[in-house]
Amino acid sequence: MKFFPFVFKNLFRKKTRSLLTVGSIVLPLLVICIMGTLLRTLESDPTGGKGMFRLIVRHKVSLTNWVLESYMPKIAQLPGVTDVVRMNWFGGAYVDQKPENMFARFSTSDPETLLKVFDEASIVQGSAEDWIADRTGLLAGELLMKKYGWKLGQKITLKGDIYPVNLELTIRASYKGPDETGVYFHHQYIEEALPRVKGFVGWYWVKAGSLAAVERLPKEVDAMFDNSSVPTHTETEKEMQNGFVSMLGNVKLMITGISVVIVFVILLIAGNTMAMTARERVTEIAVLRTLGYPKGTILALMLGESVLLALVGGTLGALLFVGLFPGFRQGLLYSPMGGFAAGMRLFPEIVGLAFGISVLVGILAGLVPAIRSAQRSITDGLRQVG
Amino acid sequence: MSSVSSGTTATTGTTLIRIDALVKQYTRDTQVLTVLDNLSLTVDEGDFVALMGPSGSGKTTLLNLIAGIDRPTSGTILVGDQQVSSMSEAALAKWRSANVGFIFQLYNLVPVLTAFENVELPLLLTNLNRARRRRQAELALSVVGLADRMDHYPRQLSGGQEQRVAIARAIATDPKLLVADEPTGDLDSRNGEEILILMERLNSEFKKTIVMVTHDPKAASRAHRLVHLDKGVLKEDVHAERGKAVGMAAAISASST
Repeated sequence: MKFFPFVFKNLFRKKTRSLLTVGSIVLPLLVICIMGTLLRTLESDPTGGKGMFRLIVRHKVSLTNWVLESYMPKIAQLPGVTDVVRMNWFGGAYVDQKPENMFARFSTSDPETLLKVFDEASIVQGSAEDWIADRTGLLAGELLMKKYGWKLGQKITLKGDIYPVNLELTIRASYKGPDETGVYFHHQYIEEALPRVKGFVGWYWVKAGSLAAVERLPKEVDAMFDNSSVPTHTETEKEMQNGFVSMLGNVKLMITGISVVIVFVILLIAGNTMAMTARERVTEIAVLRTLGYPKGTILALMLGESVLLALVGGTLGALLFVGLFPGFRQGLLYSPMGGFAAGMRLFPEIVGLAFGISVLVGILAGLVPAIRSAQRSITDGLRQVG
Repeated sequence: MSSVSSGTTATTGTTLIRIDALVKQYTRDTQVLTVLDNLSLTVDEGDFVALMGPSGSGKTTLLNLIAGIDRPTSGTILVGDQQVSSMSEAALAKWRSANVGFIFQLYNLVPVLTAFENVELPLLLTNLNRARRRRQAELALSVVGLADRMDHYPRQLSGGQEQRVAIARAIATDPKLLVADEPTGDLDSRNGEEILILMERLNSEFKKTIVMVTHDPKAASRAHRLVHLDKGVLKEDVHAERGKAVGMAAAISASST
């Protein structure tokens, strides 16, 4: 610790260069924090583990193909199944088709069961009973309520596209939960307007009573409909989310790759700074060694300076990220990525990772110049002028 | 730091440095260059020795070898009871920090540190606590007459003051031996004179053994022994009463050019 003031004073010996180097660490680390958070969000479970008990039963080909309503009792009677919910994707448009007005619109034939299957969500305005009782009732996520300034009892119109029908819906309740960017209404309302869609279901949400059942049920469900004209594919909620992510391409690999490149660039910048620093202090280091400073201490002083420089950059980058995060998340929440951003939070491990990267960059950038400085002969160092 | 009454001669008659058959060679490509050739020399404790000679005569090399920052090709160097020519690098570093004070021509202060912090640098290697380090550094600065400039940075000091801070740094750990390489070489005559007076004082009052490389006959005349090297060989070794060696030093200097 007694060498710290010395290291600290050396750090800002060339203020402009040090500040530029710190700046070149701050911004990339901010980007790494953002990328790490996106990556971590992809891997996170915003349901707090409750999603582990949910399975989705969909058409074997894709989620856009319907399955049959007649499957419901067959699925429900399987051991380990506690609840089954029929769901449909309505799509359509609210106000217009602009990206900022895109949000998830689902219809369900089982509103009461839906609330049981997704019990991590809770009603915060209105009541579940009002929504369940009203055939044209709408359950809206709190975020959408705030975004559009919706009030209970307000009527909104969804223009159909998959289903060629415009629905006028009355907001009866709002919910808070892991994803507050969706609206839910009665499928019965669509069926009455379009009787030809009766009997078809987009997918089933199945709640299992145990993890053993979660493991067993996909095979059992799919086996039942394997030879039918509408075969199914059953998977866990997490597998389905991963499937969506993989539709975007290998996002994880891309984000990880970009992050590695960024770290490498920081390393080169910090390494260049430390190499210049070491070159400028050849005589000074020789003088220190003349005074009796052992090679190990010289190495530690140089490495300490390098790590401190990187840590200053890392700390500022992390602080900047922490400061900007609420605004960043808010911005995403009100964008078409709102559903994804719902699971986004400030992950301590990502901030920790930024610090870890700082330390690593500091060590790697300073290692070669520090070793060279420590190894140089004293007499050679003293002979060097400047 | 030992404080004793001043006297004209500080030697105790005890040998501090014993150099025997010292050879130093450098190899450049295939060429072997002999810088010091079979040199033997003793320096008593409390002595003030001026090493003189033309450029390339091996003065600085000899100084570096005595101070343990370079290694001989052959021969032995005994300083006190330590055979510095055969010590490991780590042991040498430790030995230097406690036993040798360095004074350079260009002062070599760390520009981002204050005078006090520069003087404290060698003390950071000791086990002294902060308060003791502070006392020791303050004492060293007061010895060189810069107690009031402790918080000044090198850029805020004159050349002579910088060299005095460098001397304070050299004596901070209270070493027996001070080695100086052209300590007045970068100073004007007035400041050079002040530095030489200070070095004389360190020798006579504080019993520091001083080995000083110099081209300057005036500087050399402050020593009470002149060692003249030429082409790596000891040419002359003259004991002279301090202050009365000007003629001798001038003669050596003249023969060196």
